[in-house]
Amino acid sequence: MNLDPYLKEALLARLTALADDEVVLAQRLSEWVGHAPILEEDIAIANLAQDELGHAKMWLELRGELDGSDPDRLVFLRDPLEYQNAVLVELPKGDWAFTMVRQYLFDAYEEMWLKEAQKSAYAPLAEAAARAHREERFHLKHSALWVERLAQGTEESHRRAQEALETLFPYARQLFQPLPGEEALVEAGLVPEPKALEGAYLEAVGGFLRRVGLRPPEGGYVPKSRQEHTEYLWSLLAEMQSVARWDPEAKAW
Amino acid sequence: MWGTEWPRYEVIKQDTPASPPQMVGSVHAADPEHALLIARHVFVRRPAAYALFVAPAEAFFHVTQEGLRDPKALEGPLGEEEAYWVFAKRSHRRSMVYGDLVGRFPARSPGEAVGQALLQAQGVAFWAVPERVVVGTEPKEEVVESWFAPAKEKTYRLQSYYGLISAKGVEE
Repeated sequence: MNLDPYLKEALLARLTALADDEVVLAQRLSEWVGHAPILEEDIAIANLAQDELGHAKMWLELRGELDGSDPDRLVFLRDPLEYQNAVLVELPKGDWAFTMVRQYLFDAYEEMWLKEAQKSAYAPLAEAAARAHREERFHLKHSALWVERLAQGTEESHRRAQEALETLFPYARQLFQPLPGEEALVEAGLVPEPKALEGAYLEAVGGFLRRVGLRPPEGGYVPKSRQEHTEYLWSLLAEMQSVARWDPEAKAW
Repeated sequence: MWGTEWPRYEVIKQDTPASPPQMVGSVHAADPEHALLIARHVFVRRPAAYALFVAPAEAFFHVTQEGLRDPKALEGPLGEEEAYWVFAKRSHRRSMVYGDLVGRFPARSPGEAVGQALLQAQGVAFWAVPERVVVGTEPKEEVVESWFAPAKEKTYRLQSYYGLISAKGVEE
């Protein structure tokens, strides 16, 4: 498929946003390794982190095919201001409820996006989406199970889950903000329409949350652009990139 | 169950539709559905699987070859007849020898079920669990696809794959 420069630019932006969400979320998840409430969940969360990183690699390789960029350099040597992740994934890991509610909100979005993206007119994207979608369905099962148990467990677990939802829900809506130039991509059938997905998301996710006894908040601040970040992204990337930046020319570790 | 520890579930893994379900280890979990998910994370990140089952560890009756020398080893209170899954560990020879499912046996107690299994299987240890407490993944394509298929694409590499770089190696 031949992409005109305008479409190519927009597709690069979308692939970068997809990858950055996964990288940053994987880093947040990996902060639990060695600290999760039980050994089995420690192993599970390490698996989730690796899977999300695997998806990031996939998106960055697609990007590399278009512009020749090197995935490792993008992840480990790019400045925070150039990161295109949503605020949702960069917020500190918080407690277990915060981590699981965030994971659920993100997994539900990703599962929907990937399902639609399998129809992309850009074959490499459609194939990648199909691969990741299988895995994401299992992720969603895991995080939804946790949200249900936290919501219905004890008074304390319910309170913590509800508090997490109050903070996180508006940020989840940022995932559906179209990127600059994205309308053209949607029109060409390359990517799903974010706003159309948002309606389905609010219905499915809102329905699930209410069924398990949580109240998704109305309103709240939704970041408009992926250039918007909190201070937390800086410290996250500083830690994640420290080894690579220490010796950027290293050929082996 | 000790203190605040979650209950332990035995995990039973079936590699292909044709292979026998095997007891592979256990996980702590809040409930059977949670145990299944955790079992997928802990036992099936890479190896092949077709189905997973879990059952509360405390629901298992177990007896060893040595234990069977006691003529009363399989005796116990009798209840209503129901189906039991009986597993046998065949030998101690290799480091990872799991309990293979010998079969389903209708019996009034787990001991009776093991007694029936002994007529067709040898082993160094046996377990029996009532089928009604066994919870498994649904044998649907959708489940196999999202729970087990991705594992096949993940390459397992031994540490030695990555090698060590000597100072000399780096200079070159």
